[in-house]
Amino acid sequence: MSNTKKTLSRTSQNILKIGTFSCIRCGLTVSAAAGDGVRRNHCPSCLHSQHVSDHIEGGPSDCQGRMSPIAIAVLRTGDWMVIHRCVRCDELTSNPVCVDDNQLILMRIAVRPLAQPPFPLETFGDL
Amino acid sequence: MPRRSRSTHERARANRRPQRHKDVLHRPGGHRANDFRCVGCRLDVSVEAPGTTHRNHCPNCLASLHVDRRIPGDRAASCRGRMEALSMSVRPDGEWMIIHQCRSCGELSANRIAGDDNALILVRLAVKPLRDPGIARRMFLVP
Repeated sequence: MSNTKKTLSRTSQNILKIGTFSCIRCGLTVSAAAGDGVRRNHCPSCLHSQHVSDHIEGGPSDCQGRMSPIAIAVLRTGDWMVIHRCVRCDELTSNPVCVDDNQLILMRIAVRPLAQPPFPLETFGDL
Repeated sequence: MPRRSRSTHERARANRRPQRHKDVLHRPGGHRANDFRCVGCRLDVSVEAPGTTHRNHCPNCLASLHVDRRIPGDRAASCRGRMEALSMSVRPDGEWMIIHQCRSCGELSANRIAGDDNALILVRLAVKPLRDPGIARRMFLVP
């Protein structure tokens, strides 16, 4: 546990000092600021994130689990949000999509419900 | 004249057969205690749902209520806000999950769909990211 704490503090130091973090899943080293200056919270390549803040009680979380993207939500403005789910504690978060996020994975998450519908979709063609 | 009629009425009430014992109690903890009225469309919903043992959203408009905190079913949240269906997610086994977001505090939750959920609203929710033509243009699907 102390070892993970040490590596975590080193990671946060890296984000503060040189502005990069390495993805918890694919290991890609990415800059913490996206192209348009927005602070990044998920890997642009595999869209995975890390569970660092507690959304129910607020403040930092000690889970540090990997968060995988499970859904795309659309705001009223038309912007996309990625819904992440922690693989350790099942907490959900939503984060805005960055401009350089992997469009293939985004589209794959968006169309995944229609690939395996729970009922036949043919009837909706008549509507 | 009203006096006499009242007395005959009271006599008839006294001679009446006592009311049959009720074994169905329409009160908290009794019959249909867990039924709820939807906060979105005011539909009366029973807890018996096909395909699931935990009905947690309205089958007509998919709205829910923010009552659980961390563990599903703990009823520990003090928010009680309305949760509206935000997006659709899929489990690895292919089952659809509705992502609800609380309109009051922004909390998210994922819930399984039930067998009698409104199919049209479910499909509208699933195709919502694809309705915007801007994303198709960004993906170079259309010129």
